[in-house]
Amino acid sequence: MSSKRLSILPPVSSSGPKPPVHFSSSITIADSALLTGTHQVTVLSESVIHPRARLDSSAGRLNLGRRCIVHERAHLGLVPTNGRFTEAAVTLGDYVAVEVGAVVEAGNTVVGEGSTVGVGARVGAGAVVGKHCTLTPHTEIAAGAVVPDFTIVFSNGMRRTDRRGVAVELKNKAVARQIDVLRRMIPSNPAKFV
Amino acid sequence: MAALTPYTYIQCPCADPSTLGHPSGPNAPTDTDADEDDRTFDPRAPRSNYSLYPLEYLLYCEDCHQIRCPRCIAEEIVTYYCPNCLFEVPSSNLRSEGNRCTRNCFQCPICIGPLAITSLETKPNPGLLAASDNTAAPHHGPYALTCSYCHWSSTEVGIKLDKPNNVHAQLARLQNGGATRLTGKERKERRADPSKAQDADGRRRGASRDGQDLDLETQFTNLKTFYQSQLADPESSDSGLAPLGDLGYSSPTSLSRIMHLYTGGGRQDKKAKSRVGAMREALGSGEGLQLAHLDESAAIAALQAAGHDGTASTTQLLEQPPHLGAAHPHGSARLAASLRPIPYLLRTKRSKRCPLCRHIISKPEAKIQTTRFRIRLVAGTYIPSLAIRALSLSSGNPPGPAAAAAAGGLLDPLKPAHFLLTFKNPLFDPIKVTLGAPAATPGRFASRVTVLCPAFEVDANTDVWDEALKDGGGGERDKERGGRERRRRKGEDGGGSGGGGGGGGGQNQLEVGKIWERGRNWVSIVVEVVPASLQAPVGGGQPGLLQEDEDVLEIPMFVRVEWEAEAGGDEVGAVVSRDREAKEKRELAYWCVLGLGRIRQS
Repeated sequence: MSSKRLSILPPVSSSGPKPPVHFSSSITIADSALLTGTHQVTVLSESVIHPRARLDSSAGRLNLGRRCIVHERAHLGLVPTNGRFTEAAVTLGDYVAVEVGAVVEAGNTVVGEGSTVGVGARVGAGAVVGKHCTLTPHTEIAAGAVVPDFTIVFSNGMRRTDRRGVAVELKNKAVARQIDVLRRMIPSNPAKFV
Repeated sequence: MAALTPYTYIQCPCADPSTLGHPSGPNAPTDTDADEDDRTFDPRAPRSNYSLYPLEYLLYCEDCHQIRCPRCIAEEIVTYYCPNCLFEVPSSNLRSEGNRCTRNCFQCPICIGPLAITSLETKPNPGLLAASDNTAAPHHGPYALTCSYCHWSSTEVGIKLDKPNNVHAQLARLQNGGATRLTGKERKERRADPSKAQDADGRRRGASRDGQDLDLETQFTNLKTFYQSQLADPESSDSGLAPLGDLGYSSPTSLSRIMHLYTGGGRQDKKAKSRVGAMREALGSGEGLQLAHLDESAAIAALQAAGHDGTASTTQLLEQPPHLGAAHPHGSARLAASLRPIPYLLRTKRSKRCPLCRHIISKPEAKIQTTRFRIRLVAGTYIPSLAIRALSLSSGNPPGPAAAAAAGGLLDPLKPAHFLLTFKNPLFDPIKVTLGAPAATPGRFASRVTVLCPAFEVDANTDVWDEALKDGGGGERDKERGGRERRRRKGEDGGGSGGGGGGGGGQNQLEVGKIWERGRNWVSIVVEVVPASLQAPVGGGQPGLLQEDEDVLEIPMFVRVEWEAEAGGDEVGAVVSRDREAKEKRELAYWCVLGLGRIRQS
């Protein structure tokens, strides 16, 4: 007996083709994550994909690095209005977090290692976000923009360089612990997508 | 063009020069009324901007029986408090410590987010922490202020704190870069005890002798002591201003001598004994002389290296609190990297008084955590509220979605449009409302306005249940109530200005002098408007370019409300001997502005 509430909306996941996937055996991907598109989706080891995260490979490959976290309703590989096919639609480095409701558009978009795409933020097509950047909630990175390493983008596109001297190893360890917790919380079902 | 929702603004009578200082109560002289009748209030006049308020912004003085706007109330500060820690600051502290929070509340100088105090100490082994976290000692050792939004950290300006509390005092002692400095209090102590000053302060003193940079506070105290010594010593004749020295104009002692000449002081000869010497100026940094750095190449180079993003913006500089330890501002580069944490500005809770009778109109609870008010006399509970709705007669009854669209849409020029004005009575007595509006709106484009029912009565704001019970009993009323609860009255009810011009008695027919709809404590009337054409200004000629919002159709309307209230002895100086039971006639009159919508530009 399940007391699950059912949505009256038609299931979105059933629409479109099922993309070919290349999953590492150690990833955590929720049952209700949405994978659409025709190109390959690669997720490297220990990454976590939350329920209802949306991975769209219709405009090119999606590459997710190690220990990435893609939160709920985040959308990777959104095809912009004049989008076209590119070899790699979206590439996330290692230890990248794409937070709730954030959008990363397709078109050779790169988010570098250790960067955080904040809640509701948007990374335009072809933008290159450097390593260990922080995009604060609701920031927008224009299509094709280049964000240098250790940059913080805040309050309507103001930028500053992080001079705290981030202890990268420490941060990575914190991410690893977070993933440990998430793995226990999110029931993983990679078999569904293979 | 952006759609415009209809609005009502009320003009506070304080802006009216004829009523300035005269509360126009029931016993106000009638000649001012006559004056008011002559003039039509122009909502487009530049002054009107300052006197028009939505009803929600207005307060009401119960003793003067007058509307009070934010401009005509006297404010008093009840408490000062920090918006971050909600700590009440006594006003005596305010005088000594300034208007900023002197505890641990700071804002980020980059993005004004709140700063948190975090330990800079790196944990020995985070991998093992999961096991030994709880047993480990709490954080210690140097702390920094960090912003969780833009990731600014006080280590960027070289500020590290020893303790996580009393941050304000620690910051006052720290220069950017971490060097300590003396605060004013310490300086005083040192001066009182010079032996202590010698050893601890020797290095700094030595530096300042060499013409090094003085911070603002040191420079000021040095200058002050120097000039005080100059004043105390009238013999100081080593004048820096030799040619003027003979005249002695620059010397305060000679000035006082001249003053004595005129006032005829008895100590004339005593003063004359002391040869008047001019005061000399400070010569060294020990005396407070600070040489300007005219070589700004370093600042320019720093600006070039930092670029626009690294330069402090004007707002960031304005947010900066005055820092007494700062170097002389001359020639400094003003980089974002030199900004210091901002202590939170204190806020106030204020009570509001009527400026005439000094009665309190609004008084918040003194406790900071509560947002309640002890006294708050808002105008909405004393004067009828006015709602505007577009009425489309063609689309039938009730006003459907078409009318709703028309409300936000544009008005067609030279085509009559109808609007429903609903007056809702908040008082417990029935009120008599009289409206006056000019036949044509003021301004370049005169739209024609007809208020179909300029005088009517609105029933009292009685208990909701009274109404329901009454309706349940009365069969006749029930019948009348059918359908849309429409109850229309005959023309005589509304005071009957203008004979019944509307022929026919159809449900949708507009009738002059009749109320459109009536409820428990509200009445709707119809206003007919013929919007002016934006091609034809009043004086003729070319319309030219429209000014801002000139296409908005605004109607000035004079509202006069009369009611009979119980004569409570609340009025100052009222006749106390008056019969308690007697009813007292009250009246309130004010201008308001109805913004109906934009006129379509063809």
